[in-house]
Amino acid sequence: MANMVGTPERITQMAKELFREERSLKRLDGWFLIKESYMNHEPEYAHMRPMERAANLLYRALEELPLSISENAVFAGTQRDAFARSYALINPSFKVESFAGYCDPTAVFDDIEPNEEFPRERIEKVRAYNGNTEYGRVLADAYAKAERYTGEVAFFMEQVTGHVIPDIRPTLQYGVNKFIADLEAQIAAEADEEKKSNMRAMKRALEAVVMLAGRYADIARAQMETAQGERKAQLACMVAALEKVPAHGAETLYEAIQSFLLMWQVMCDEQAPNPFAFSVGNADRVFEPYRAHDGLNRDETAALLKHLLVFYNVADRSWAISQDLIVGGRDLEGNDLTNETSYALLDAYYDMNMPQPILSVKLHKNTPDKLYREMGRFFFTPGCLTPSLFNDDSVFVALRRGGVREEDLPDYAIAGCQEPLIMGKDNGNTTNSWLNLPKILELTLNNGVSLITGEKIGSFVPEVSAEENLRNLRERFYQNLEAYLKEMEKAANNCTEAVSHLPVPFLSTMMGGLETGYDMRDIRHQGTRYNGSGCLIHGLSVMADSFVAVDCLLRDRPQDAGKLIEALRANFEGYEELRDYLVACPKYGNNEDVPDEEARVIANRVSDMVSALRNNWGNPFRVDFSTPSTHLLYGYWVGAMPDGRKSRDMLNYGVDPFAGDANNGLGLRTLSTLKLPFEKFGGGYASHFGIAPKYFREDSFEEKGMAFKNRVVGPLFFNEYADHLSPFYLYVNVTTPEMLRKVLANPKKYAPSGVYIMRIHGTFVNFLDLSPAIQEDIIRRLDPGSTSIAC
Amino acid sequence: MELWYFQKGFNFSQDGPGNRLVYHLCGCNLRCPWCSNPEGMRRIEGYARSATVDQILRELLSARAMFFEGGGVTLTGGEATLQFEAVLELLSRAKEAGINTCMETNATHPRFAQLLPHLDTLIADFKHPDDEAHRRWTGEDASRIRANLRAAAASDIPMQLRVPLIHGINDDDRALQGFVAFFAELQRPKMTVEFLRYHEYGKDKWKKLGLEYAMHDAFVSEQRAVEFEQACRAAGIAVVRT
Repeated sequence: MANMVGTPERITQMAKELFREERSLKRLDGWFLIKESYMNHEPEYAHMRPMERAANLLYRALEELPLSISENAVFAGTQRDAFARSYALINPSFKVESFAGYCDPTAVFDDIEPNEEFPRERIEKVRAYNGNTEYGRVLADAYAKAERYTGEVAFFMEQVTGHVIPDIRPTLQYGVNKFIADLEAQIAAEADEEKKSNMRAMKRALEAVVMLAGRYADIARAQMETAQGERKAQLACMVAALEKVPAHGAETLYEAIQSFLLMWQVMCDEQAPNPFAFSVGNADRVFEPYRAHDGLNRDETAALLKHLLVFYNVADRSWAISQDLIVGGRDLEGNDLTNETSYALLDAYYDMNMPQPILSVKLHKNTPDKLYREMGRFFFTPGCLTPSLFNDDSVFVALRRGGVREEDLPDYAIAGCQEPLIMGKDNGNTTNSWLNLPKILELTLNNGVSLITGEKIGSFVPEVSAEENLRNLRERFYQNLEAYLKEMEKAANNCTEAVSHLPVPFLSTMMGGLETGYDMRDIRHQGTRYNGSGCLIHGLSVMADSFVAVDCLLRDRPQDAGKLIEALRANFEGYEELRDYLVACPKYGNNEDVPDEEARVIANRVSDMVSALRNNWGNPFRVDFSTPSTHLLYGYWVGAMPDGRKSRDMLNYGVDPFAGDANNGLGLRTLSTLKLPFEKFGGGYASHFGIAPKYFREDSFEEKGMAFKNRVVGPLFFNEYADHLSPFYLYVNVTTPEMLRKVLANPKKYAPSGVYIMRIHGTFVNFLDLSPAIQEDIIRRLDPGSTSIAC
Repeated sequence: MELWYFQKGFNFSQDGPGNRLVYHLCGCNLRCPWCSNPEGMRRIEGYARSATVDQILRELLSARAMFFEGGGVTLTGGEATLQFEAVLELLSRAKEAGINTCMETNATHPRFAQLLPHLDTLIADFKHPDDEAHRRWTGEDASRIRANLRAAAASDIPMQLRVPLIHGINDDDRALQGFVAFFAELQRPKMTVEFLRYHEYGKDKWKKLGLEYAMHDAFVSEQRAVEFEQACRAAGIAVVRT
């Protein structure tokens, strides 16, 4: 089939043209049309239960949605109708000072520029309708109740959409008609009316994707009438595939990709607008059986996969869609599962070098050197995307500890940035809650009063003198934290309840709903095998360094206890000598026993406290020490800290040392990192190394890839001398601050294509598209002092 | 037993083979005005930190996975040998534990030779071939250094000799001839020489410590450095740049 749509060179050329077309789009109105369709047809289905109503509304929206097929497309389908043009955390207009979070579910309507076709009245009508839905009301109420704590971000919470890994493999293998038939039989046998309705909902949702395939087939047929030669043959292939999949099982790689794309499209459209962070899972394992069936070589496979990759790019957005694709990994016995499709995917990624989708690679101690050698080109080509790295050997342990069954472990993958979830079985509600430890420390030190605004936010411990406060700081902090966590738990669960009013029957078919008969968002029944709610914990090393600095002060200068509180209130103005002292105290990240142990204790204790929280289903909150640019946002609302950090400065990133505080090089920093309790970070964590390329003087990319394994990955992930479970996540940027400043100063010279890919937490982005605040964050966290191989 | 150091960190391939955990030990018996680590000349509050030999050994053992490509531990300074007993204990126990050991030294210590059996690599500075000039610029003459380096050369330890090449101090033809003559005398397999052109990386540190930085017009051209290297090579001496 690949040969029938063209040679690898021709298919590649078309993929690149298709990407250029996509990048040139200046409007994204599809999501609005979907929401408008829901509004228009809602009365027709008002009598139905929510899930069944949602399925029928989805069907109607997909019937009405304008569709097209580009002359450069070899597959039908797009996910662009699910996304607004710029609404996202990391977009070019992002400003730390004005970011307000996702509190307002109707804010996205500001994203659509009124014009003749979409006059303001039309937009406002749909906005008003959405604000008055049950979802909108419950969500607004959730935010109103928590405003006291979220205003300056002691914690934050959000309604989680996307952020799961659907299992599309059964559909590729059997086709949705099989599941429709199964559902019909189940409906006939089911006595429970609610479940009966749910099954009808899932059946209707699956019928929607078959209908969509039919609409695309009609378009392709129409185009065939005027097409010539090669294009006519391509359209004939497309029609043949669309007549077969996803209704029926795929046999060829071409059919499998086509089937996959349409399933993905419907899944995203169902959650429009902006279903961030859906992830593919191990794409190499998903598609390898079909490649093997066809006997395609690496080039042929890569050519088709390039079109799969282009599909994930939406207009000129190069930020925060956060859809991830992973390759590599191991089975339960430790055997490597890398296959020919893994390498073809790497080829496709490297040749296309696009801002989406994110690439991750699973490693383990038996990963073949070939994979490291093939990764060298990514790390050592300036401006090229780089994979984030996962250590299966450790992830398995952390997930097992969280209750994941043995047989499911190899199926973990990454949703969003770095959150490990089980494909098709895990509703991790990953970004549900966000915890700002330093803000709670600030409130503890100041008897509940904000240093930023002077507002009395609240403290749950009695007021005491400055000295007593410092002497009992840890216990007072943890008591406060306990109380704040209870408030966060309530607030986060309220957001989850709001989302439950937006059932997702189509997605639920790929998340266990066919077996359980329940929507995955139903908070009264657990529709997925695994379930939890994420808590992203901020400020680990700021906390550790602050506790250590207070200990040092009380030991060396006990008379200055009161002065410290005054200095914090003054943001150290007039207290420069004291600040110099605090800054010089031992800091986490330099392989020093005291601060490293403090960080380990905090991580342990906070993890246990967060894990003790329960979500709407009664399942634990999941510990996730990641800070996807929120170390900037939350730092902006945190006053001066005892470690010498000044008011409104960023917090540390993920589990990393505070930028500039660990200045003895990568080796010592690695040793500090190894002491953290990674087995408790079942919800994930973030860590970044900025690597200066000058330390890799090998001649070829392949040799550099091996050097990267030996010098960076090996000591961190597979360190035979480590006392604890080894880390399991890392992303890197192999560049220098100087280089990035050159790129900014002269983009035409250093990024002639207009694309210079950098990694930022779990995603990669076009560096040139970022706001100055995020660009500066990337530069600052390259932090040569903490990450240089030579210091 | 305690060791005082003012800096530690990993360094790749510049302070001995492979990736090495480098401890800069406090104190120095020389007073070179071009020193790039003046904070290490003596034990200065705010810079100096201590650790027992046990603690350092524990750190080295935990860091073994990072000693890739033949790496290990390097003791430098200041002048490492000033804390002789602790250094001797650390090097001997580290070597016993299978950790590759290296020391960078000015080779002035009278018991220098006792350390040699515990070293896998020796890096030694040799700043001037003329005794009087050496004394004038560093405070000590070079006679003991020469004797110590002859002892080292008699062993089979890989030896890197380093010369800070400084205009007006040791870059004239007479010095060149003196260097070549001495290095030729020591020459054997596994011995290399490196000329390090003068830099001012330490200049700001002097100022920060309230000390006068007395060097000026001391830079050496690339061409002159090449001439030194070529003269050594012509005498059969292996020259490197790290």
